[in-house]
Amino acid sequence: MNNVQGTGPVRPAQPVRVVIVDDHAIFRSGLKADLDANIQVVGEAATVEQAIAVIAHERPEVVLLDVHLPGGLGGGGREVIAGSATLLGSTKFLALSVSDAAEDVVAVIRAGARGYVTKTISGAEITDAVFRVAGGDAVFSPRLAGFVLDAFGTAPADIADDELDRLSARELEVMRLIARGYSYKEVAKELFISIKTVETHVSAVLRKLQLSSRHELTKWAAERRLL
Amino acid sequence: MSTALTRPPLVRSSDRIIAGVCSGLAAHLGWPVKNVRIGMALATLAGGAGLAFYGWLWIMVPTADESARRNARRPASPIAPAVSLVPPVRIDPAFGAAPPAGAPPWGMSDAGAAAPAAAYAPGAGPANSYGTAAVPPGPSAGGYGPPLAGHAGRPPWFRFRSMRYGKEILLGAGLLLVAGILIAQLLGVDVPLGTLIPAAAVLGGAAIAWMQLDETRRAGLLDKTKADQAGGWARLAAGLALVVAGVLVMVSGSGSWEQTWLALLASVAVLGGVVLVLLPWALKFWRDLEAERAGRVRETERAEIAAHLHDSVLQTLALIQRRAGNEHDVVRLARAQERELRGWLFQDPGRDVGQLSERIKATAAEVEDFLGNAVEVVSVGDTAMTEAHEALVQASREAMLNASRHGGGSVSVYLEVSDGRAEVYVKDRGPGFELNDVPEDRLGVRESIIGRMKRHGGTASITSTPDGTEVRLGLPALQTDNAEGKS
Repeated sequence: MNNVQGTGPVRPAQPVRVVIVDDHAIFRSGLKADLDANIQVVGEAATVEQAIAVIAHERPEVVLLDVHLPGGLGGGGREVIAGSATLLGSTKFLALSVSDAAEDVVAVIRAGARGYVTKTISGAEITDAVFRVAGGDAVFSPRLAGFVLDAFGTAPADIADDELDRLSARELEVMRLIARGYSYKEVAKELFISIKTVETHVSAVLRKLQLSSRHELTKWAAERRLL
Repeated sequence: MSTALTRPPLVRSSDRIIAGVCSGLAAHLGWPVKNVRIGMALATLAGGAGLAFYGWLWIMVPTADESARRNARRPASPIAPAVSLVPPVRIDPAFGAAPPAGAPPWGMSDAGAAAPAAAYAPGAGPANSYGTAAVPPGPSAGGYGPPLAGHAGRPPWFRFRSMRYGKEILLGAGLLLVAGILIAQLLGVDVPLGTLIPAAAVLGGAAIAWMQLDETRRAGLLDKTKADQAGGWARLAAGLALVVAGVLVMVSGSGSWEQTWLALLASVAVLGGVVLVLLPWALKFWRDLEAERAGRVRETERAEIAAHLHDSVLQTLALIQRRAGNEHDVVRLARAQERELRGWLFQDPGRDVGQLSERIKATAAEVEDFLGNAVEVVSVGDTAMTEAHEALVQASREAMLNASRHGGGSVSVYLEVSDGRAEVYVKDRGPGFELNDVPEDRLGVRESIIGRMKRHGGTASITSTPDGTEVRLGLPALQTDNAEGKS
């Protein structure tokens, strides 16, 4: 899980405004204590309804969002993102979960989250991930990269294929390295490219994951009881 | 009696003139075939009795093939009920000597679902009792032949026989009674047939209906096998019709058809009315039964979950409280418990555990337990295990142990299988080391990782930087012989 460590993104001059959405008060307070001083927690919520209200009111830069939440129609984190759809341009969602189940990860990413980390992540790592998401980048854990490779296949794109349906050779390389536990910085070093280029590739993969209606992705998800 | 210890089953032989009845009977009784055939022919001359007997046996006795198939099918029927939550009930007459519903009703263990399925032998009906008659008694039965053999009875024989062939004996007794009555009539004795026949009908009908009730009760009213239920309804209807007809004839007393028909119509109408009135109660009773059963199923599930949580999570939490001072132990316990619970919650039970990814994950868990550092496995693709894959798993294990021991932090493991080619990457964030600096006698890296992979046609390479070390293992697809690796 160290992939988001390293030099990391540029720290913003002003503190990042964050809302924490999780139904466990113990976890919220623990997370608050773990976060960097440069992150300002402006609101907390424990249910879907509370979360949508707090987000609309506070308009934070980043929402740390638990995937499984009570309330609403039972959609959990996905429903919160859908309910805050008008804010998606300014507010970024970073999904947190105790679960590594593929359906949870992919569902919340496809709903619009900019990244996915598990709750066992350390305070420094989550701080880094928040900065990265606030800066507009995507946060891929090794496991998420593994899911992407599994879903899109490990063969590079043909020219004839729809651009959204397959990863380019370079994107595949980046995903593989992230799955192997490389940080963005290490990926950049390994592939002789800049960190910025790595971030661009990762964001492109995230976009494909969110937008692709690819046949195999559907099949893959169905096999994991996603749809 | 000792000669009868290993009496062959009564089956229709393939060595036959007409249907193999005589030779089968001869083999069963241990008599010469010729004698049996002559006896049968003589009996045929006596008013066709032999012919009737022959026909009876032809219909009722299975051929050797059928019998073998039935016997092979009987023990441990593979057809488990879809929902194996009903208590295990034995309804197969073949097991009639055993007490019904012997096993504990709710399996709480992991094998709970399997146990009732094994004890459950479906497809039992009255028709099966004939098959039973053809089954040879096992050694424990002391070698007493089926009733056809006609050996003198002794107390144990009778007890055993009466339990096992109760229906046949009843039928036989009934037929003997009828024969006796007919003979008495022939001899000129006045038998009150007008009373006897309706009484017999009532008795027969009642017997059929009660047999049905008995079996339904044995099945705990829970058996949903359609065929069985259909048979049950048919039997109930037949029993009812017999009783009603018998009672009517007996009560009306006259032999007149007209009167009987009228009475029959009236009684059917009355019965219909009664059914109409009682139907709501019956439906309510049935629904209550269904609700109770559903509740019991839920209760069983809840109990199983509670048992699992108790055995795993509560025990771990207790351990963590006792070791709260030791951070290393707490982390290790929490990781192990998380893994176990995750596996229990999300694992597909139908998943094949012989797959490469499962083995790598199990190995990672083992290393994690052993050294305490987290080992994260990400896998893409999968393949079945072969000998070479086993070597890959062993080499990966060695690499994980090294990474966890010397890296001193969490270890990332990535497995990718595409087009049959398997690759494993093991990465740590330790200070790194120079392969050339490793002493020759250190078998870990040289022998267990590099040597092992080479012996199985794979590749292994180690990249070490101050930021960490990565071991890359590659195993080419089986048939294709291109061993070019990434190394």
